[in-house]
Amino acid sequence: MSTTSQKHRDFVGEPMGDKPVTALSGIGEILGKKLEQQGFDKASVVLGQFLLLRKDSEMFTEWLKDASGANSRQAGSCAQCLREWCDAFL
Amino acid sequence: MSLSDKSNEEIGRLLAEYGIKHGPIVGSTRTLYEKKLEKAMEKAPAKASSDKTYYREEEEEITYITYQSPVTHETYAQADMLKRRGKAQPDEDEESDRATEPPIRITKRTANHSAVRSKEPVRKSGSGAWKAIRLLLLLAVLAAVLYYAYCRVINNEESTFSINVNSGEN
Repeated sequence: MSTTSQKHRDFVGEPMGDKPVTALSGIGEILGKKLEQQGFDKASVVLGQFLLLRKDSEMFTEWLKDASGANSRQAGSCAQCLREWCDAFL
Repeated sequence: MSLSDKSNEEIGRLLAEYGIKHGPIVGSTRTLYEKKLEKAMEKAPAKASSDKTYYREEEEEITYITYQSPVTHETYAQADMLKRRGKAQPDEDEESDRATEPPIRITKRTANHSAVRSKEPVRKSGSGAWKAIRLLLLLAVLAAVLYYAYCRVINNEESTFSINVNSGEN
C-alpha cells in the first residue's frame, strides 16, 4: 500500500543537499519549527539522527514524536521517506 | 539508581542486557535510550523471576502431588487412626483389621489424587518451600508412628498369643 505524497516523491527522488527540514515528508511548518529549535534545521541533520538510530524506523519514530510532538502518522511518513532516500542514495 | 547519572557506556551495556538493539549513545540519542531502558526495567524484573519461580514451584508441586500430596490431607486422619489403633491393640486383636487397612488407604490415596491435584497448583505462590518442609515433617511423623505401632504389634503378637493360648486352655 503505497500512499506516498508528492512531497515524499520529491524528496526521495534526488539527493537532499541543503533542503530544509520541512522538505521531509510528514514534517510541516509547526513540526519543522520545533525541530529547528532543537538544532535540527536541515533535513540532513535529521538524516544524521536516523542513521545514528541505525535506520531503525521504530526508534526513529519514537524519537521524532518526543522531539517534535509529531503523531504516529507523521513520524511514520518521515521515517519511510528517509528510509527510501537511504535505499536510493546512501 | 538514576539512569541519567550513568555513563554512555553503562547505558549501552544495560541496553545490551535487555536485548535492545541500539546505535551510538550520544547527546541526541541518549534520552530515547534512557526511556527505553526504563520501560524495559519495569517489565523485565517482574517477568523473568516470576516465570522462573512459577515453573520451579509448579514442578515441585507436581512431584509432591504424585508422591505424597494426599498425605497432607490424610496424614492427620491416618496418624490419628494409627494412634488409636496402637492404643487399642493391647486390648483387642486388630491384626486382621490392620492388614486390610493399608490397601484401603492406598486406594484412597489414588482416588484423591486428581482432586488434590486440581487444588494444589492453585495454592501456589511463595510458600512452596514451607510446604515441602511441612510435608517432609509429616512424612517423618507418619513413618515413626507406623514403626512404633508395628513394633507394638510384634511385641503384642507374642504376649497376646500366649494369653490366647492360656484362655483357650481354660
